[in-house]
Amino acid sequence: MQIVKNDSIRGFSMLGFLTRYMARLRIVVGLGVLLALSGQVFAHGERNQEPFLRMRTAHFYDMKWSTTAVAVNEDIVVTGKFRLFQDWPGNIPKPERVFLGNGTPGPVLARTESWINGVPAIQSGKLELDRDYEFKTVLKGRIPGRHHVHPMLNVEGAGPLLGPGNWLTVSGKWEDFKLPVTTVDGTKIDNLETYGVAQTIKVHAVWYVIALVYMLWWLRKPLLMTRFAAMEAGNEDLLVTRGDRLWGAAFLVGTLVVVVMWANWAEATYPRTVPLQGGEMLVDPLPLEKNPVKITVVRATYDVPGRSMKMNLSFTNNGDKPVQVGEFMTAGLRFVNHSVPAAMANVHPDFPKDLIPPSGLKVENNAPIAPGETRTMMVEATDAAWEVERLTSLLNDPDNRVGGLLFFFDSEGNRIIANVMGPIVPVFGKS
Amino acid sequence: MASNSQAEAVEIYGVKWSKWSAALSRRFDIIVAVILFLAVVSAFHLHFMLLAGDWDFWVDWKDRQFWVTLSPIVAIIFPGALHYVFWDKLRLPIGATFAVVCLIFGEWMNRKFGFHDWSYFPYSLIAPATFIPGAIVLDVALLLTGSMLATALTGAIAFAFLFYPANWAWLAAYHLPVEVMGSLVSVADYIGYAFTRTATPEYLRFIERGTLRTFGGHSAWVASAFSGFICMLMYIVWWYIGAFLGRVVTVPNKLKTMMGLKKDPKPAAVSI
Amino acid sequence: MSSIQSGARGALDRSPGSFVQYKWPAISALAVTLLMVFYRWFQQTYAWATGLDSTLPEFDATWMKLLSYELPLIGIMWVGLWSWIWMTRDRHLDKITPQEELRRYFTLVLFIFSYAFAVYFAGSFFAEQDASWHQTVVRDTSFTPSHIVLFYGTMPLYVTFGVGSFLYAMTRLPKFAERVSIPFLLAVTGPLMIIPNLGFNEWGHAFWMMEEFFSAPLHWGFVVLGWSVLALGGLLMQIMMHITELFKRMDAEGAV
Repeated sequence: MQIVKNDSIRGFSMLGFLTRYMARLRIVVGLGVLLALSGQVFAHGERNQEPFLRMRTAHFYDMKWSTTAVAVNEDIVVTGKFRLFQDWPGNIPKPERVFLGNGTPGPVLARTESWINGVPAIQSGKLELDRDYEFKTVLKGRIPGRHHVHPMLNVEGAGPLLGPGNWLTVSGKWEDFKLPVTTVDGTKIDNLETYGVAQTIKVHAVWYVIALVYMLWWLRKPLLMTRFAAMEAGNEDLLVTRGDRLWGAAFLVGTLVVVVMWANWAEATYPRTVPLQGGEMLVDPLPLEKNPVKITVVRATYDVPGRSMKMNLSFTNNGDKPVQVGEFMTAGLRFVNHSVPAAMANVHPDFPKDLIPPSGLKVENNAPIAPGETRTMMVEATDAAWEVERLTSLLNDPDNRVGGLLFFFDSEGNRIIANVMGPIVPVFGKS
Repeated sequence: MASNSQAEAVEIYGVKWSKWSAALSRRFDIIVAVILFLAVVSAFHLHFMLLAGDWDFWVDWKDRQFWVTLSPIVAIIFPGALHYVFWDKLRLPIGATFAVVCLIFGEWMNRKFGFHDWSYFPYSLIAPATFIPGAIVLDVALLLTGSMLATALTGAIAFAFLFYPANWAWLAAYHLPVEVMGSLVSVADYIGYAFTRTATPEYLRFIERGTLRTFGGHSAWVASAFSGFICMLMYIVWWYIGAFLGRVVTVPNKLKTMMGLKKDPKPAAVSI
Repeated sequence: MSSIQSGARGALDRSPGSFVQYKWPAISALAVTLLMVFYRWFQQTYAWATGLDSTLPEFDATWMKLLSYELPLIGIMWVGLWSWIWMTRDRHLDKITPQEELRRYFTLVLFIFSYAFAVYFAGSFFAEQDASWHQTVVRDTSFTPSHIVLFYGTMPLYVTFGVGSFLYAMTRLPKFAERVSIPFLLAVTGPLMIIPNLGFNEWGHAFWMMEEFFSAPLHWGFVVLGWSVLALGGLLMQIMMHITELFKRMDAEGAV
């Protein structure tokens, strides 16, 4: 006798179909995860932000991470500077209220400190355009994993403006995370993550049980249709009995007593409390640095097939030392002029490599611009990063302007930062 | 054993029921109670999260001004509407308690599976507020007075006034002062600051940014009083909206002949 | 579909079990639960892993793939269930027995249970979860890991049951076929309109609201449409009126 074990012989098997469907789905999603984990180029949603938001708002530079791998409870100190761009887009609000945030995939790191120019940045405040600020954020490892973390400014009405993201690794166990704090009156809180939770759940549970018991009095009796019929028959006096009223009255009195007693207990247990703090942060920008180089955009084009931004710029050096063009920075991307050693030295080794296009910045004439000299020359930033970072979508913007920072270096390695801004024209064929 | 006899009758609330129909009515009760639970959880929770959700989500939004004012006003809407159906049609004084029990169930389900398990927020940041004490008082006010107006004048204002002290029992601990980077903040502020919300920055908080004059610093009670006043109005308005939505209104169905029903007779000619 | 045979008067089976049949609502509740567990598992597994940047191929391979399964499923569910209910309608509602009518009332109530069960996941569970996601990350597409489940998964599902239950009543119950119930219509179309209202939501998030303030006026359209669920109160009254009347008719018939 032959035993046939084949689903298809018995016709369509729902279980078999679902198993196959799930298996196929698992392959698809498994592939997705593998790709995600293997790729360095992984963003935080900023790539779909309009290029004008990324090229003409906050420019983060001099970014440093104290470390990129910590255990749970260990600190990562992130420092850097940002300039709020002079050519701030007219369609978004000015930085009247700004909060120094950090773009993380959820609260995977606990922020214990943040400072702007030495002022605590726990509140939001007004910042000025075309000025520079120095910031520092201390993050404490909380959820294990490999997280892509950005410095970020939230500007009221404009939303999150992200700086360059870096990969930070947290090892250990979430259960071991602790964020202790001592209050002003000396109460030692072991861990803010769990602080007060037991009491919160107790209050909720007690009231929930009271509510269920209160309702059970009615739920146990014939409930809807019979009461409805009694109302239709005009028997409403039979629906609410003296017992019902006494039950209700007892709960009324009991509720008031419990509320008052519990609130009084809280007052007595925590006699010194403060309201939520809603003040504003007041912070002055960094002192103005001398900027002796004047830049005018003669013409800027973006070569779509060549993935190349070409800017014909006119430079006038009003300073007393010759300077060289060292770096063009926009939207977190750093196009560095490889032939200027000071510019190369300006790149921190921990800076994310995917944000430093390898072909760098091509400058038509690398000779230093002498004091008093005016020179027009072509500056070219070519890389697939324009596509990867979706900055080419500026061609779809109603406001086709480009913005960024140019870093100049003199012979002593001193840096000068200047704004570049102007209209940009797309070129779809050979330019 | 099923009773097939129509002769056997029981009297429930003064109405005679055959035994089989009484048994069926209890089945109906249970199924509909489950439906009402699911429907009220969904509708009330959706309503509440989109009108006062931000204050309810985060411990550092639970201030003395907006949270205390807004939460009872938004929360009394469903109790008001349900009171019409529950009391006027069924004489059940549990509409408000039932509504908030549903709301809090929906909230906790999500605080666990959404905010905590998915987005990693600690429970100390995301606990919802409770409305149960106010709801019980609102229900009992209706039970004892039997009048919508009297309930609005007593229970609705109590609903607002009980909100803050009832929640203070767990919230007070989060208002201890703590020094952070040389600034004074409450523990709640610091929890909100430490556990980052990327798209919900500090300035987005709609909180008391400094009172003008609250005569002795009783911000929360001033807010409760105003909330109570609006709650009284809201309760009445929503009682009537409940009545409006609870009406049985029907219109002729033009497709009924397709189900074998007779066409409506043509209306008689109207002479001009 | 089984129906109650009307035999000799008084000899009918009038046990609750002969009128209330739980098989289909139990199957639908189980299926919905499984689907919701799958959605939640999918979010937990892939939201952080591949859902943060919609420009990545990984996003397409997971999230857009899920959406591509959902969209045809919506069409299949809507067209399939609704046309089946319509095509198999009772073409002789004038000849229905009270027993059969009563049984259908309970089927309708259980159909509404299936509707309410699906609404819970859309209106409460995944709706507030939307806040937990969008207040946590930077929104960069209209098809976020939260929206793909909420707006294209759970909401079309409850619309399937909602419109289905309405059509069931209209095609199987004489009183609902005779006249259209406005509270029923409201309780079905209000939540249904939440899906087109999504257009307003996305418009606002594209042009107007850059931050995630959940109580923003932009979201109030959902609130107003959600209020229509209160019309279930009117429908409840209507169904109770009809059923109590049927009880009386059947008792009177039996007493003859």
